[in-house]
Amino acid sequence: MSAVLDLAGVSSGYGHHLVIRDVSLRVEEGTLAALVGPNGHGKTTLLRTISGLVRVRSGTVSFRGRRIETLRPDETVAAGIIHVPQGDLLFPDMTVLENLRMGAYLPDAAQRESQRLEEVFALLPKLKERQAQLASTLSGGERRMVGIGRGLMAGGNILMLDEPSLGLAPIVIDQIYAVIQSLKSSGRTILIVEENATRIAEMADVLHLLDNGSFAWSGSGSDFLSSPEIIATYLGA
Amino acid sequence: MDVLVQIIASGLTLGAMYAISTIGLALVYGSLNMLNMAHGALLALGGYVCLYAMTVLGFPAVAGVAMAMAVCGIAGLLIYHLAARPMLASRNFETQIFIATIGIGAVLENVILRVFGPQPVAQPLKVDGAVIIGSVYVPNQNILILGVAVLLMAVVAFVLNRTRMGRAIRATAQNRDAAQLMGIRIGKVYAQVLMISGALAAVSGIMISSLSGLLPNMGGDPMLKAFVICVVAGLGNVYGAVAAAIVLGLLESLIQYVFGVQYSFAILLMLVIAVLIWRPAGLFGRTQVVRM
Repeated sequence: MSAVLDLAGVSSGYGHHLVIRDVSLRVEEGTLAALVGPNGHGKTTLLRTISGLVRVRSGTVSFRGRRIETLRPDETVAAGIIHVPQGDLLFPDMTVLENLRMGAYLPDAAQRESQRLEEVFALLPKLKERQAQLASTLSGGERRMVGIGRGLMAGGNILMLDEPSLGLAPIVIDQIYAVIQSLKSSGRTILIVEENATRIAEMADVLHLLDNGSFAWSGSGSDFLSSPEIIATYLGA
Repeated sequence: MDVLVQIIASGLTLGAMYAISTIGLALVYGSLNMLNMAHGALLALGGYVCLYAMTVLGFPAVAGVAMAMAVCGIAGLLIYHLAARPMLASRNFETQIFIATIGIGAVLENVILRVFGPQPVAQPLKVDGAVIIGSVYVPNQNILILGVAVLLMAVVAFVLNRTRMGRAIRATAQNRDAAQLMGIRIGKVYAQVLMISGALAAVSGIMISSLSGLLPNMGGDPMLKAFVICVVAGLGNVYGAVAAAIVLGLLESLIQYVFGVQYSFAILLMLVIAVLIWRPAGLFGRTQVVRM
């Protein structure tokens, strides 16, 4: 198996403060890797570091065999990294359709725009109904779907989802998880940050527990579920 | 009735001129949270470049306007590369760029003063004659200003809504991080927006100077009004800025007629205070409030 994404000894942070310390991570082609751990311990910062929104201080990031740790965010997107950020960050004064089309902004994606739009509508039929509505008027679940759909419009070789179930009602979380499951089944490479560790562990091929900026535990999803002491120590559940 | 026609005619002209210079400010603030205090100097620069092109170089009017737009567009680009870009990463970017652009404006104004002298000059780009509506005399110059302003606003709306560059500008204004994650190079957007803003400032400066003449410090008052309009509309909101500019233009000409010219700015500012007490984010603004 070949690693799509390979981080070696990566540190990063804001100002003088390091949030990520010496993290090494491999995500294999076609697998779902999950980052779990307590809040404020760097899960979101790690994704922002990979997509270039936060600068790498030391270490290397390779993506499909190419070094990307010095690239700007627009360049990592062009390289094939899709980052669906926490809190969706939709364009509030654009319609659902305009938001989705923004996902296909880069020339390569723009060429396949209509075909991808069909795929996104097939996966998230609710968006087809809502396509003319302004993003600022959507419900939380619909916003999340636009965020994911907008990411899919770019194509890409890895999909990074930051807390896709955050702040949603249980029934909507089930819908979002069904979408993630079908993305996984279609063979996509996914890196997901999730608060609800036991839920994502049922689906994840590999799971990393991020504690205070470093990995405290890594293993398969099923190993994680059968290690109650890990769950109790780090997640207090 | 005639009075009303007169007020509307001059109010629309004022509003149109304000709108053109305000659009530029709103675009720049919307994209990179930058209050460009050199905008007034760019208005003057545009007016003087047009004068220079037409009288010294002997260019026709259209070429004079084009040259003014090019020079001010490049000036905007230089402001981005020399001042804004090095400060972008700073946490106090908004305050720093505010102060830096005050300095740039002062330098630019004094260069103009040095080159063209302190005495007022008439803008050579001026059409004669007038249209008579009832017994009201509406100068062709005002009609030209209104026509050009409407055309420019249509062009800006087209660019923002229908072009790839416009989509990138709107996306950046609405969410900077998300825009980058769509593959937009926001540094390029910032540079484009400052160029567009400079080019629009040139046209606005030519319009204003065609009515009230050229002076090196002619940009100060219109810039203040443009800021007032931006604040009333909600900082960074382009369409709100156009609407607010036209309403304030009409209001100003009404106040001038009813109370006299000396009260117009004072009453305008009182209205702004009232609007901001009622809606701190501006009439069309979202919740964001900026404190300097």
